[in-house]
Amino acid sequence: MTDTVQAGRRKFFDLARPSRQHLLGYILIAPAVLMVAAIIVWPLILAIDLSFQQVKIPRLGGASRPFSVSNYVWLFSSQEFWLACWVTLKLVIVVTAGSVAVGLSTALLVNNRFEGRTVARLGMALPWAVPEIIAVVIFAWMFDTSFGLFGWLAIKLGFTGQMIPWVSSSTAAFWAVAITMVWKGFPFVSIMCLAGLQSIPSDYYAAAKVDGASSFQRFRWITMPLLMPVLGVTLVLTLLWVFRDFSIIKVLTGGGPLRSTQTLSIMTYDQAFQYHNFGRAAAVGVLTLVICIIASLLMLGRRSKSIY
Amino acid sequence: MRRTLAQSLALYATVIFTLVMILFPVYWLLVTALSTTDELYRLPPTFWPDDPQWDVFARVWAAKPILLWLWNSMLAAVGSVALSMLVSVSAGYALSRYSMRGGATMGLFVLTAKMLPATLLVIPLFSIFSSFGLIGSLWTLVLAHSTMIIPFATWMLKGYFDTIPKELEQAAMVDGCSPIGAMVRVVLPIATPGLAATALYAFVLSWADYAYARTFLVNSPDNWTANLGITTMQGEYVTYWNDIAAASVFIALPIIAIYLFLERYLVGGLTAGAEK
Repeated sequence: MTDTVQAGRRKFFDLARPSRQHLLGYILIAPAVLMVAAIIVWPLILAIDLSFQQVKIPRLGGASRPFSVSNYVWLFSSQEFWLACWVTLKLVIVVTAGSVAVGLSTALLVNNRFEGRTVARLGMALPWAVPEIIAVVIFAWMFDTSFGLFGWLAIKLGFTGQMIPWVSSSTAAFWAVAITMVWKGFPFVSIMCLAGLQSIPSDYYAAAKVDGASSFQRFRWITMPLLMPVLGVTLVLTLLWVFRDFSIIKVLTGGGPLRSTQTLSIMTYDQAFQYHNFGRAAAVGVLTLVICIIASLLMLGRRSKSIY
Repeated sequence: MRRTLAQSLALYATVIFTLVMILFPVYWLLVTALSTTDELYRLPPTFWPDDPQWDVFARVWAAKPILLWLWNSMLAAVGSVALSMLVSVSAGYALSRYSMRGGATMGLFVLTAKMLPATLLVIPLFSIFSSFGLIGSLWTLVLAHSTMIIPFATWMLKGYFDTIPKELEQAAMVDGCSPIGAMVRVVLPIATPGLAATALYAFVLSWADYAYARTFLVNSPDNWTANLGITTMQGEYVTYWNDIAAASVFIALPIIAIYLFLERYLVGGLTAGAEK
């Protein structure tokens, strides 16, 4: 009797047995699940919980405040929130469009065969490797109000009569942020598009050429359709990046002047760490997350799997 | 496809023009570092300093604890990459090899985690770290950066493991290897390029962080990372752009070097999910 029990036990822990293999799978995945539960899921639940409490600075383990939707009520009735939504939307559209335009054209350019193409490819995607903060340092100086290069160029090219007040003018500050973000964001699009372009079999082009297709027709009817899936995913990832970016805007303009560059992300951070309204901040953050999820599901639809 | 001479010239002209436009800001950073303050505050700007101040690098290195900042960034990056890879490798392997209940949920979760704004997560993390007395310590960054790395690394590694045929481990197990032995001795060595790509990409992610460092470490100058340190050089009234530019060169250099020499791996990581 004991013999059979022991044999059974030994077999239970014999992970090589096919019927036990799924157990090994769970054991291997357990550390990651525990980590994720501790540093992502639990904090996220805390944040959602915070967003439903009227709380300034929360203390863990302290008595939680009663459930209240006052943070959301405040949000939806405050001008600041709607302005932040509008700024975020503008920035997402401008930066995503700019990044895709520059990224796709540079990818098409280095997809040509020519001497020194490897170097050109490396050079064109180099801004990807420049840390965001360093990019901001460079552009902050180029957008300097008194001695910046861009202001001087604008005068030289006849766009304006005097230096542009990049810091104190709302429109100028918005474009300063947008230009910096495009410079930092387009290489990703370029890298992805180039990978997509190179996976298109060259036979397709050869065949189209035999049939007498012009280079525009080849681009329109071969390149574009086959690039679409990659481009779609890239577009959504770029959009999500702009949506959530903190460092570029925070260091370049701080969200100003007059909140003209304050996105939802900046508003979340400032509500928490500048005005110490953690409850309100959590509410803005949770809404940002919800908007991100809805937007990317809508854009990718059934293809959303490819984004992981 | 043969090109005529005129077409070749046009192509080269376009490539060079585009490269100059794109790389100009990086060149401008160098020019700014090498200029004297007088030159910087003068219009029209000088496109190459009359007397390049090469000693600016030595001066800034001595005046600011740049080595300490770089070291802290390195510690945070190595720590978070090591911790994340440890759990992600086995999780990615499990997701690739075993069909588990909840596998699809896991995918959906990775998607959500990828969309999680750092500015939202930083709020509860701040309360958690405060109550554990961790604020000001580099451990906060190790954990916070892991929240960015684990979801994407697990999924990326699953993709790499998927490309390695299952038959290899089955053969090893027939020869008497345990399942764990087969993973460690057969699959992991083959997956080394994938592991390297994931780790490198994770390293770059950690190195780029500013939001977490600013929130958790702002009052502990000894633990400032490179990105946080450099923003403190931006003065309230006067900013010495040549000094900041020189410090920026030090901080950007490690990542640019990684990019130039290991670009193949990094790009492999970036495009891993997109081509499927």
